[in-house]
Amino acid sequence: MAWATAPVSERRGSKVNVLILGANGQLGPHVVRALESEHRLRLTDVNDLESSPHEYVKVDAGNLEQVEAVAEGMDAIVNLSVLRPDRQIAFDVNARGCYNAMAAAVRHGIHRVINTGPHFTIAGPTYEWFDYAINPDIPPQSGTGLYALTKSLGQEICRVFTENHDVHVLTLLFYNFREADDHSADGQDFTPFSVTWGDAAEAFRHALRIDLERLPSRCEIFNIFADIPHDRFSSEKAKRILGWQPTNQLEQFWRKARPG
Amino acid sequence: MKVLITNGGSPLSQELASALGDGHEVTLTAREQVQTSAKFVQSDLGHDQTTNALVKGVDAIVHSGDTDPKASVSNRLDVAMRCTYNLLWAAVEERVPRVIFLSSLGLLDGYDEDLAVTERWRPVPPTDPALLSFHLGEYVCREFARERRISVTCLRLGTLIWDSNSGGAISSQALYPDDATQAVERAMSAEVPSGTWTTAARTWNVFHIQSSVPDARYLTSAAQDGLGYSPSQRA
Repeated sequence: MAWATAPVSERRGSKVNVLILGANGQLGPHVVRALESEHRLRLTDVNDLESSPHEYVKVDAGNLEQVEAVAEGMDAIVNLSVLRPDRQIAFDVNARGCYNAMAAAVRHGIHRVINTGPHFTIAGPTYEWFDYAINPDIPPQSGTGLYALTKSLGQEICRVFTENHDVHVLTLLFYNFREADDHSADGQDFTPFSVTWGDAAEAFRHALRIDLERLPSRCEIFNIFADIPHDRFSSEKAKRILGWQPTNQLEQFWRKARPG
Repeated sequence: MKVLITNGGSPLSQELASALGDGHEVTLTAREQVQTSAKFVQSDLGHDQTTNALVKGVDAIVHSGDTDPKASVSNRLDVAMRCTYNLLWAAVEERVPRVIFLSSLGLLDGYDEDLAVTERWRPVPPTDPALLSFHLGEYVCREFARERRISVTCLRLGTLIWDSNSGGAISSQALYPDDATQAVERAMSAEVPSGTWTTAARTWNVFHIQSSVPDARYLTSAAQDGLGYSPSQRA
């Protein structure tokens, strides 16, 4: 088994080096906690990080030179960077940030990139408003919303890189994150693409662990959310291929409260 | 028609402005100041009212997906994606009915030359920023067209031949400027039929445009049928 494509955690003799772009955002701290016992982490963010036991480098994901420089010596890249409301920065980070991550991966011989985005990176209104059992392998139709389209452009850039270079991209799609003990809207239903922070972070462990040779192609997308009965979207692929299973189904939201 | 042509400093845009200027009211625009006899408005194609003002009252926008080869990779991608987005967003707000996006047949060069590649084939872009930019520009345009917010005709152009006397072999996907101009002018006014199985108007139409040269690589029958494109026969 080629070293570069072997499950990251199975390379004996050394911890593997994982670059995290956007490590100081909402999801970052949870991902760090999930990965830090198994991997050596290099954290980056455009914002300062107050304190961390891990190596930290201030990096703007929209800056090609910075991303290429900070990726040196890494075995995998996890791209958590995101910016939603500002048009210039959204294109810089969500779209060009993916180009930068992929260019850095190719330059440094990194074969595994984990990208992230909201579900409408792929399944925009033309799916979401109309359909059920929406899986992640549909042709992307993000719509023209700024956040959605910039993320979708980033994903398309990733896909083009995988068609032209020896690099794999595993894209994890999320939408709503919840604390496990969130009872803010019991029995009121919720967005059918919700997951606890802990379960979301666990998906990254699986994405780093999987043997790349087992993936159907060099560009694979996975829907990550709790097991819920809505059947609006499908997370079956993440379970089947990554072996990821949500541990908390957030039942308090989608089951009516019993009286008494 | 009132026509806005972007990338005003490029030879193609200037050729289009010159050729279309006789029958249409043409405005050229570019991010930098350009020497031209056509009406010119400098614009960064930013997300502000200046872009709205640029497109207001225009009947058709001819938007070139070409990017400055001297610019950085980051800048080329930024122009291809963000400026195209800003332009189409403003065009929708100002109710511009039609955009003609000038893309590249280079997006299909990944297929073998002996394949009968048409508009039905999936583009296979490389990661080279020059061609990737066209692909990403198409991606942006397609989403606006998919939401039915504007009609977009995408012309994938062959290799432009500016000096027909330069000698050497002619590219199998050569495109002479007069054929390019004809294709754009046809796209400005063509009403492309939806097809047999639906009456819904098609807001996204792709046509492959090259000249009729020996051993022409790409089939242009769709453009001939859909736009009335009639390239001159070249020896």
